[in-house]
Amino acid sequence: MKKKTGFLGTLYKNRVAYAYIAPFFILFGVFNLFPMLAGFALSFFRWDGLSAMHFIKFDNYINLFKDVLFWKALKNTLLIGIIAHIPILLGGLVLAYILNSKLVKGQNIFKTIYFMPMVTSSVAISIIFMNLFGYNYGLINYFLSLFGEAPVNWLGGDGSLIKVAVIVMFAWKWIGWNMVIYLAGMQGISNDIYEAAEIDGANHVQIVFRILIPLLKPIILFTLIQSTIGMFNLFTEPFILTNSNWSGGTNNGGLTLMMYLLNKAPQGGNAYGYASAVAYVITVMIVVISIVLNKVTAEKDPANTKKRGRK
Amino acid sequence: MKTLLLLLAVTAVVLIVISVLHPIGKKISLYLILIAIALIMLLPFYMMFVMSTLKTNEIYSFPPIVTFGSNLIENFKNMTAAVNLPRAFLNSCIVTFSYTILVLFFCSMGGYAFSVYDFPGKNMLFTILLGTMMIPATAGMIPWFIMMSKFGWVNDFKALIIPGCANAFGIFWMRQYCQNNVPKALMEAARIDGCSEWTIFFRVIAPILKPAYASLGIMNFVNQWNEFTQALIILRKEKMYTLPLLLRSMVSDRGTDYGAMMLASTCAVLPLLICFLCASKFFMDGLTAGAVKE
Amino acid sequence: MKTRELKRILSGALVLSMAASMLTGATIASAEEDTSVSGTIEVGGWPSGDDGFEAAMEGFNEVYPNIEVELVFTDTTAHHQSLQTALAANSGAPDVAMVEGAYIAQYKNSPALTDLNELGAADLKDDFVEFKWNQAISDDGSRLVALPWDLGPTLYYYRTDVFEEVGLPTDPQEVADLMSTWDGVLEVAEKVSIPGQRWFLPSAAYPYQWLFINRDYYNENLELQLERDGDLECLEACLKIRENGWDMNVDMWSTEAYAAYAAGTCVTVAAGSWFSGFLKTDIDPDGAGHWGATVLPAGMPSTNWGGSFLVIPEQSENKEAAWAFVKYMLATTEGQNTMFKAIDYFPAYKPAWDAAPELYSDPDEYFGGQAPNSIATEIAADVPVVYNTIMDTTAEGYLYSSFNAGAEAGETPEQIRERLGNDIENACAELKQQQIQNLKDAGVWNGD
Repeated sequence: MKKKTGFLGTLYKNRVAYAYIAPFFILFGVFNLFPMLAGFALSFFRWDGLSAMHFIKFDNYINLFKDVLFWKALKNTLLIGIIAHIPILLGGLVLAYILNSKLVKGQNIFKTIYFMPMVTSSVAISIIFMNLFGYNYGLINYFLSLFGEAPVNWLGGDGSLIKVAVIVMFAWKWIGWNMVIYLAGMQGISNDIYEAAEIDGANHVQIVFRILIPLLKPIILFTLIQSTIGMFNLFTEPFILTNSNWSGGTNNGGLTLMMYLLNKAPQGGNAYGYASAVAYVITVMIVVISIVLNKVTAEKDPANTKKRGRK
Repeated sequence: MKTLLLLLAVTAVVLIVISVLHPIGKKISLYLILIAIALIMLLPFYMMFVMSTLKTNEIYSFPPIVTFGSNLIENFKNMTAAVNLPRAFLNSCIVTFSYTILVLFFCSMGGYAFSVYDFPGKNMLFTILLGTMMIPATAGMIPWFIMMSKFGWVNDFKALIIPGCANAFGIFWMRQYCQNNVPKALMEAARIDGCSEWTIFFRVIAPILKPAYASLGIMNFVNQWNEFTQALIILRKEKMYTLPLLLRSMVSDRGTDYGAMMLASTCAVLPLLICFLCASKFFMDGLTAGAVKE
Repeated sequence: MKTRELKRILSGALVLSMAASMLTGATIASAEEDTSVSGTIEVGGWPSGDDGFEAAMEGFNEVYPNIEVELVFTDTTAHHQSLQTALAANSGAPDVAMVEGAYIAQYKNSPALTDLNELGAADLKDDFVEFKWNQAISDDGSRLVALPWDLGPTLYYYRTDVFEEVGLPTDPQEVADLMSTWDGVLEVAEKVSIPGQRWFLPSAAYPYQWLFINRDYYNENLELQLERDGDLECLEACLKIRENGWDMNVDMWSTEAYAAYAAGTCVTVAAGSWFSGFLKTDIDPDGAGHWGATVLPAGMPSTNWGGSFLVIPEQSENKEAAWAFVKYMLATTEGQNTMFKAIDYFPAYKPAWDAAPELYSDPDEYFGGQAPNSIATEIAADVPVVYNTIMDTTAEGYLYSSFNAGAEAGETPEQIRERLGNDIENACAELKQQQIQNLKDAGVWNGD
């Protein structure tokens, strides 16, 4: 065989590997990268899709940061996301721990039931939750009335309780997913570690915090990044809960970043340039959060250092 | 609120007390908590099934009706009169199955390559790939749509299948699995036997990847089955509607027949649920295996 | 070596054929798109426009036997969104599309829509209601992008059975007289409401919204025009209704409210006259005889609530057929009145009113022998020409949520009005920039 050198040679030598990974890069380049670059260009224009485009430099970004609603949406999204992560992370860990501990039987049934919400479409489920949280006819208010409580206007009122409904839905959907992932991670940890800890007199809380969480760090990071992306994509649930009102309900209580974006374009309006700017700002936020999360967890991670050592 | 909080506090205290008193008490309280959470998880599904047997005005009555009603047949008639469910079902199947099969194919190839081969630029390319997972698709929505119409893919399932069929998450997932489950010795042995790289992948590796195929397949299947945003702007004609679009089309300014709509939702979710229940063990194994270190 | 080579080719072929079968499998359903025959047009919109077209189709095909019409209908929001994206992408739009009154301001300057004057609409100007015609003219006055279909003279609907039960009159004139002041309105509200069980209105925010239902939020200088005659008295009454629990406190378009209209637990509601059709066919089909309709209470002026248009996208390849369709449906008495009978879209085409007077003045059995259409006709003649902008729909959304926020915070009517002003200006900031750009492009912007 004739030896080839240089770029083509490298390409040829590793042709199988490159061929295997090529579909992703080709499809991504054509269907994602190109539209995204076009979208980036668009973010410097004012364009309603119907009349002429006007180049306005950084105006879209400047206006965006001046917009009170953008900050409200960001605040709502972070608030919903952070509060929802408490049950998602802790609940997921505890449930996984209980199911992994062989203390109870029927793990498979519980696992399956907890995971079921992941399988549903958010349109139908949002409508169900809208009914559960209904003011005049809702099941939750009926339940409260059994204890002599006045009906709570969850989805109206001053708008702050919409977040409760959204958090409940978000947690309902994600808790099972996180539990399954943690469970998978825990099953990879040898039982000896638990036994040794128990002999040392550690209780369950100590085992979870001292042993499990450090060992599961990479997995927790993975779920954290995933649900962070889920948090920034939160739209259908609050939108349907507020009866398709783009304001996100009273006092913009349910206005999320994704709703803010889609309201500009392409769903609620046609400010394409502005919406592109919003999309880029959201993208940057997601990337920054991911990097921060990575940094925070990478510091004292034994698994990572070992990998680095191996190379 | 006070009575309610009091009740919750009392329950918690009772549970703690009995679990401290006796090991059996501990088991009982664990079961009670697990079952309570399971009931909360199941409640929305149960309400969906219940509503599909109720008239719309029964759904809005106080106290709320939480038992099955007698309007199922009527709702079914209204549903079939309003929408073509079998057609949407077929459309959803075409889109979802083709998409899932392509995803499994391309992603397992990509993940495998990133896992077992060493080639220049590997780390950089993989970092880029991970980075793409974080970008919301909305960033390029309008240019993407313009592109689709230039390709003539508006009202065409291709627009929903092709663009995302080699996705970063899938490759990442497959790479994780391959790293932990593909023994290099097996590949070496196959090479010595004279197998080509293609054959090794199809004959030797693919069977090992089965559990990962199951978990990744279900995840992508579920996502695509429920995909709404792209379908909304691509599929305009009613006969092209997938199930989520069909459900959306039943919500109308002129009044939504919730009974019929919930029945349609049930019909859309049920096959998925049944598949998931049947494959749940396989699926969980796939998830577990991905994380286990050999 | 040979076999390995062969295997490699085979497996490569397998990949290709797999991919190919996937592709063909996916295209089966869309194959007929290429077989579009000339003379076929696609008409897009939302229900129940399709029922209207279907009713009038027979007459249309008698005149144009060679035009085949394909109806592509979906819900209002999805329709406008997909129309919008198709126009932006310059491909994929139907040949004829419905556009709702609230959206028309976005489209009126668009070069993506055909100038109907060029197709011969200019001659029809005098046949159409002026305020509606005006909404479809571009800001520089040179083009007409849409032909008006229907009006929505605002009517006030009420449950006659409940009124009777609590000893109130049911005749439209008597109801209007009784409720001609806010005191009268509150009196009725108190009588019909049973807190927690039966409510006067879906939300106390709506009487305030009725003041703005012409959607004339901004003037030509794009200054917000929130101060109206009697708006503070109106807000005061709204707040009283809320305080006393006389409203359901839900969106009037929610399914919860719809169920309450049908059950008689939400007793009154106001909407454009097209709401008659909503009631008859969807919300309360069994409700014949227990609904009445009259003019808005408390001496509010005659207003128009929505009503749609038809447009022909510039990208249409069969504009002649499209125009023939639009002209027959909207600019003939036969087309308009057939659709009016079928779906209660009140024609913006004036000759239709005189051509079949019985449709407009005869008692309507659904309304217990009342004739809401004759009231609507009177209102229609009275609606002023107003100025519309692309901010209108966003502003309208805030009437509801800002009122609720203000009421919840215990604010005074003045404070609520101020809050509303701030909320609208915040939410419309970018839209306003776009509107200014549109006016600049049209050469009619006087500001800086």
